[in-house]
Amino acid sequence: MAENSKPLISGFLMGTQLLELNGCTRCKECMNWCPTYAARPDRPEITPMYKIAKFRELLDSQYGLRAKLFGPKPLNEDEMTRYTEDSYYCTTCGVCGTVCESAILTVELWEAIRPNLVARGNGPYGKQNMFPKLVAADRNPYMAKQEDRLCWVPKDAKVDESGKIAYFAGCTAAYRQQALGVATVRVLNALNTDFCMLGKDEWCCASAMIRTGQRPLMKEHAVHNIDALKDRGAEKVLYACAGCLRAATIDWPRWYEGYIPYKNMPLSVFLREKIRNGDVQYRRNINYKVTYHDPCHNGRHLMHVNGRDWAFEAPRDVVQSIPGIQFSDMARSRELQRCCGAGGGVKAGIPDLANDCAANRVRDVEGSASDIVASTCPFCRRNLMDGRNLIKSPIKILDVVELMAQGMGLDVTIPENPYTKFQEQDTIVCQDVCKLDTVTQKEKTDDIGEY
Amino acid sequence: MAFYTLGLTFSIVIALTVVVLGIWLYGLYFNFKKWGLGSTGYTAPLANSFWLFIATWIHEAFKDGIWVFIRTLVLDVFLLRRTLRRSPVRWVMHMTIFYGFAALAALSGLGLMMDILEQPFMSFLGLAHQAEIVKESMALPFDLFGYLLLIGTTISVLRRILLKEVRDATTAYDVVLVGGVFLITITGFYAEWMRGNAFLVGDVFSNTIYAPHFALIHTVLALALFAFILPWTRYIHVVAAPMTILANRGGE
Repeated sequence: MAENSKPLISGFLMGTQLLELNGCTRCKECMNWCPTYAARPDRPEITPMYKIAKFRELLDSQYGLRAKLFGPKPLNEDEMTRYTEDSYYCTTCGVCGTVCESAILTVELWEAIRPNLVARGNGPYGKQNMFPKLVAADRNPYMAKQEDRLCWVPKDAKVDESGKIAYFAGCTAAYRQQALGVATVRVLNALNTDFCMLGKDEWCCASAMIRTGQRPLMKEHAVHNIDALKDRGAEKVLYACAGCLRAATIDWPRWYEGYIPYKNMPLSVFLREKIRNGDVQYRRNINYKVTYHDPCHNGRHLMHVNGRDWAFEAPRDVVQSIPGIQFSDMARSRELQRCCGAGGGVKAGIPDLANDCAANRVRDVEGSASDIVASTCPFCRRNLMDGRNLIKSPIKILDVVELMAQGMGLDVTIPENPYTKFQEQDTIVCQDVCKLDTVTQKEKTDDIGEY
Repeated sequence: MAFYTLGLTFSIVIALTVVVLGIWLYGLYFNFKKWGLGSTGYTAPLANSFWLFIATWIHEAFKDGIWVFIRTLVLDVFLLRRTLRRSPVRWVMHMTIFYGFAALAALSGLGLMMDILEQPFMSFLGLAHQAEIVKESMALPFDLFGYLLLIGTTISVLRRILLKEVRDATTAYDVVLVGGVFLITITGFYAEWMRGNAFLVGDVFSNTIYAPHFALIHTVLALALFAFILPWTRYIHVVAAPMTILANRGGE
């Protein structure tokens, strides 16, 4: 290691991940699929192949043969700054890992390189450094009050304090996309499912911290949320947010030393079970052409944990069960889908890149000749709306459970609450016929927005 | 015709082989040591240990059980399933180069062993005649796997020349490796043809004067690639890629 220079690696990278750096054969397959490279084709250095090559070069400059013989070179800080930028021009969507011929687990690799950049003082990027400050202060990234976690729940809805089934709503459904939360609660109530919510004991899943290499806060949040779910007696935890689901399934257990007695489940899987059991009564036709956008966090990130059926087929089955819907897949779907561009801290750190990625995805939607793109991720939804607005597309973006709630004829009116003015989402309003609309944010906030 | 010419003797070849193997093994150790800098787990500190890297790799590779390891070894390492999914042409190229190269290396090793058996100091075994028969029977597989390698390296060179996207991304490293392997293959064929006992072309190109020269160039290039390039450059991926596939149990 060079003197007078912070070390290139100070931890976080496993030996097998250093091996992966040498496992890249430079086949370029990742470049054919990378969503950020598609949005920035003049910057090949942001692609996985180049990022791996560069980090390998940096590593060899410190620990390679030349360094062994003549001593390591001091790291060039300009070079490190450039590499940091390249490294954060990535949504950690993981499509590069899916197509990698050397089976490199790229998401894990990026998430291991980034903490080293943070430890050196190079990372994170842009406004991403606000995540830990905001989340440590308020336990959510929206500068919202924890006591207001359930302020959107309709008065006549039944939500228990404890129970075998828990619904982990996530920060975005609680404060920014309450239509999703209301629809979820209404559907679960209509299905006579007793469930509990954590309320003020629900803390941010801390996904954004892990994705951007800012790990220290993760343990506190993982342990708190798991203990809170255990205390409520949960045996099955439902998630309508792909980001929370990913964090709860993969990240939290890494930081928790005790036994985790409950099972994490995507809401769509739970709803499909109910549909298959004949418990769901649809009362209304939703006469729209609909396609489905696979969130990376629910799809590629979890397909090897939960299986392809849970990751890809369950939400499609739910959408297709709704009468009137004409469903068609986009050309890029399931494990090869194109990321919306919001993940990995890109939405907060490099918003114009996130929007350009989203615009590309909206063009994919247009290619499927659909009116609506449904998803199971509030982050994807928000970013796709921004991409849609950027290219002035008529496409509407909704959550699967909202379509289902409308098909079931449920009242999904959001009660007035302190965060009503911050709502920004497409909606589907059905009376005699269904109409698509967009609720526009009435008041700007000082928070970091979505991640 | 005599194999050892141009000043090469059996002893020199043996010494060269030992040196090359030594450098190659040290190269592997050096890389393993470098990878060993990494930690053994998600929240573990840096290990900086050769042995802990080996242990971590074994732990990761067998995490899902022996059958997953075997399935990954067969489907993803031996049959390159992930490459086939993405590009059948690249799959043919990799398969022919990999199996051609591996088989020729193994046959070369076997040939050297037969040479050793023919040496006077091994005469007490009385296997010199059988060793000669084995060497003669190796001519056909040498040629077949040589052609296999030639197909692969030809595809590789043509891709670099004809496909714009591949051409644009070609670096000096690629030129050295792809060009080097192609050169080694071609000189090997020339040497074989000039000896006049090649499988398909017989003695059409027989030239006993220059055959040893090509054999020498072929041998020196192959040994140099093996000892001085593979372990010390990014071509260590020849070792690292299969190890990665196994450690990640086939990947996503």
